[in-house]
Amino acid sequence: MHSPVEQFTIKALYALSLFGYDISFTNSSLFMVFAVLLSSGLLFFAMRPASIIPGRLQCIAEMMYEFVANILDSNVGKEGKPYFPFVFTLFLFILFSNLLGLIPYSYTVTSQIIVTFAMAFTIFIGVTLIGLFKHGLHFFSFFVPPGASKPLIPLLVLIEVISYLIRPVSLSVRLFANMLAGHTMLKVFAGLAVMMSGAGGIMVAGSALPLIAIIGLTGLELLVALLQAYVFTILTCMYLNDALHLH
Amino acid sequence: MVKRIWFYSGITPLSLITQGALAAGDSSGGLPQLDITTWPSQLFWLVVTFVIGYILISSLVAPSISSVLENRSTKISDDLETAKKAQDNAKEVYTSYEKSLSEARSQAAIAAAKAIEEAKAETASRDAAINKKLATSAKKAEARLSEMRDEALSSLEDLATETSQKIIAELTPVKVTKAVVKKYVAAHAKLQS
Repeated sequence: MHSPVEQFTIKALYALSLFGYDISFTNSSLFMVFAVLLSSGLLFFAMRPASIIPGRLQCIAEMMYEFVANILDSNVGKEGKPYFPFVFTLFLFILFSNLLGLIPYSYTVTSQIIVTFAMAFTIFIGVTLIGLFKHGLHFFSFFVPPGASKPLIPLLVLIEVISYLIRPVSLSVRLFANMLAGHTMLKVFAGLAVMMSGAGGIMVAGSALPLIAIIGLTGLELLVALLQAYVFTILTCMYLNDALHLH
Repeated sequence: MVKRIWFYSGITPLSLITQGALAAGDSSGGLPQLDITTWPSQLFWLVVTFVIGYILISSLVAPSISSVLENRSTKISDDLETAKKAQDNAKEVYTSYEKSLSEARSQAAIAAAKAIEEAKAETASRDAAINKKLATSAKKAEARLSEMRDEALSSLEDLATETSQKIIAELTPVKVTKAVVKKYVAAHAKLQS
């Protein structure tokens, strides 16, 4: 019997190395490529021809665009416009990675902590640099809550700094843990169904129960896949807003 | 807001399952996610694919969608403007129509009043002419009538005189002259009338 977490194993498909590091093209890399090509390809062909009155596919493309544009606009405002392509790419990458991962025998890129952490950390560094460039040293006033009483300031600044530094961790772990837990749960129920059907007797009939549970869980995971892409995007926008507008 | 998303993301209940998965992973050599030998490859391909995706989306996808959305909004606002212009135009035409209609109405009223006045004047003049004609003819008729009556009266007097003379001559031996009879008749007629 396979372990429920064996699905997360990285398998090299084509061995490569660079400066002594192993950068083999793996099953994970393959699905990153799929996510990027599928998302940009789908949107690209949905807009051919780009007509004033949209067809079905164009409607989907426009809805995705406006969904992300609205998140960015409502959280950041006008100053967020230059960052739209990045936020849109981020949303599509996570969304398509999550959704592709739900296909049986595929690989869930976002179930890897290093992938989610790399994205979250890049956002964290980028947002901090944007804040520093825009506000200079005034940026550090972000860590002093407005209207705080003087003796409390050192404590509050400490709390604010810690909560700021924890952002990349919480952002990455949220996505990673949701994907890991969801896919593990699906495999646990699948394993249960196989075990019960192998046990014989009344257990064979009972093995229908975990199968039904898998159907429900797949629906739930579909929701989680969409929701987590949304949450990651909206938090990125909030962090960007903090950097651009401080409080 | 952040706290609420944290709650909705369901990390708290799911963390229990994650811990279970971590424990299950331990029995077969740990979670594959924690195998750091796979990290360089994942990071490398993440950067490569994400950058390619960013280039594709920022140069091909996003501009075409945004241009379509922009075109649509300008088209809609243009169409609305055209419609508004057409409406204004229609209103203008309607007001000018109303104005000309009321003008025509007042002109018609004036013309009608004038026509009535003219007709009245004509009727009055015609009436006067007819009345005058009638009056003259009536006067003529009257004159003739009185002439005829006078004639009749005078002839009646002559007749009476003659008749009386004849009656006197037949009945009496007295010879009376015509002049005397005439005098008596005239006096009698005067007495009668």
